[in-house]
Amino acid sequence: MEIIERYIYAVTQRLPEKMRADIKQELHGLILDMLEERESPGQASKENVESVLLELGHPNTLAAKYRGYERYLISPFLFDSYLTILKVVMFSIAIGMTVVFAIDTITSPNEILEHFIDYFANLIIAGAQGFGWVTIVFAMIDYRQQKDTLSSGDKNLKWKPSDLPHIPDVNKQIKMSEPITGIIFTVLFTVICLYSIELVGVWRFDGGDRTVIPFLNADVFQNYLPFVWILAALGILNQSVRIIVRQRTAKLLVFHIVISVVTTVLLCVMLADPAILNPDFIQQLQAAGVMSDIGKDYDTVISIWNGISDWLIIIIVFFALIDIISETYKWYRTKTTV
Amino acid sequence: MADVNETINGLLSELRRGTIIIGVLSQLSEPQYGYSLVPILEEKGVAVDPGTLYPLLRRLEKQELLESTWDTNEARPRKYYVLSPFGREVYAGLRREWRKLVVSMEGIMEEG
Repeated sequence: MEIIERYIYAVTQRLPEKMRADIKQELHGLILDMLEERESPGQASKENVESVLLELGHPNTLAAKYRGYERYLISPFLFDSYLTILKVVMFSIAIGMTVVFAIDTITSPNEILEHFIDYFANLIIAGAQGFGWVTIVFAMIDYRQQKDTLSSGDKNLKWKPSDLPHIPDVNKQIKMSEPITGIIFTVLFTVICLYSIELVGVWRFDGGDRTVIPFLNADVFQNYLPFVWILAALGILNQSVRIIVRQRTAKLLVFHIVISVVTTVLLCVMLADPAILNPDFIQQLQAAGVMSDIGKDYDTVISIWNGISDWLIIIIVFFALIDIISETYKWYRTKTTV
Repeated sequence: MADVNETINGLLSELRRGTIIIGVLSQLSEPQYGYSLVPILEEKGVAVDPGTLYPLLRRLEKQELLESTWDTNEARPRKYYVLSPFGREVYAGLRREWRKLVVSMEGIMEEG
């Protein structure tokens, strides 16, 4: 009776390891019992076996009944937030890509066809990436939640009515525009870093000609692409959680601060590498005729350029601090107004 | 328009789902294995298919309403279930609640 074994296998494969042996034995006995009822023992016909298995139902359904809960990658509970964030991410990827396409087309209009093909290909690649990351992040959040509810043995998610978000209190609620803007900027930042880092620099238009003197060394920057991905994932994770929670809480604040600190550290590590800067920046500036070889301007530019990494790090840390302080203040204000 | 009988059947199976548990508990003061319960329940007008009954028995065991033992003396090993002391108490409580439910449902339908 190979078909019986196949059925049992199909059911038990979908069950937790420790339940399998027991259910296998039990199902085996059940199927033989059901067969016996239909005919004299020892001569089970193929039709009877099939009718018994059909009566037991689809292996997936039976396994789900045994498991006692449904399995989701993203449960209905989170699905709405998931869709919202997915839309925002997709939308910002489209905007980001279109901006890059527009810039490329303006700067070198002759290669418009090439740009368009790039645009199209990048749109698909970045779209798939965005979709993947959002889904992974949500699947992880969902997995955590499912584990929590299973371990507490409670089928309903625990909640207190006092946890309910307060309506229209503008101070307490996180405005939807904040995380959405955050995600759009994160995606823009990522798109530029991944596809057009050489466009970040000093622009010079001379008649119809355009020259860009990049700040960064694109070859060295390539090595830091994993950083960019981590920064993007952290940024999107942070904003996604804000969209889900939509309310300033102490936990959310701590989460935000941790992510801000990690982000700042990563950015500083990147900038602290002197090789990441364009080594020929000054020469290229001169070659492009942006500035003269000597004089006061020259000295000023040189001194700024030499200290640029330190300055950028100071600025980034400064803004991170302002952000953390302002988030803490906003949280504190909601707490005291209750 | 939806078929009356079809709609009734759909709603009825929803109603039956909970009553099956009481039906199962009521028959398990003596040990029974899963498939022996099917004809017993059917005879008393509580039809339940094995694909529902087996997972249910397991769930009730997990909730500590039932206790189980494997009997390996027979031709094929069978898992016997019986009410635990806790299950007995729960069943008695359910019976009381069910009676109350019947009374209130009767009352409601009389009014209607």
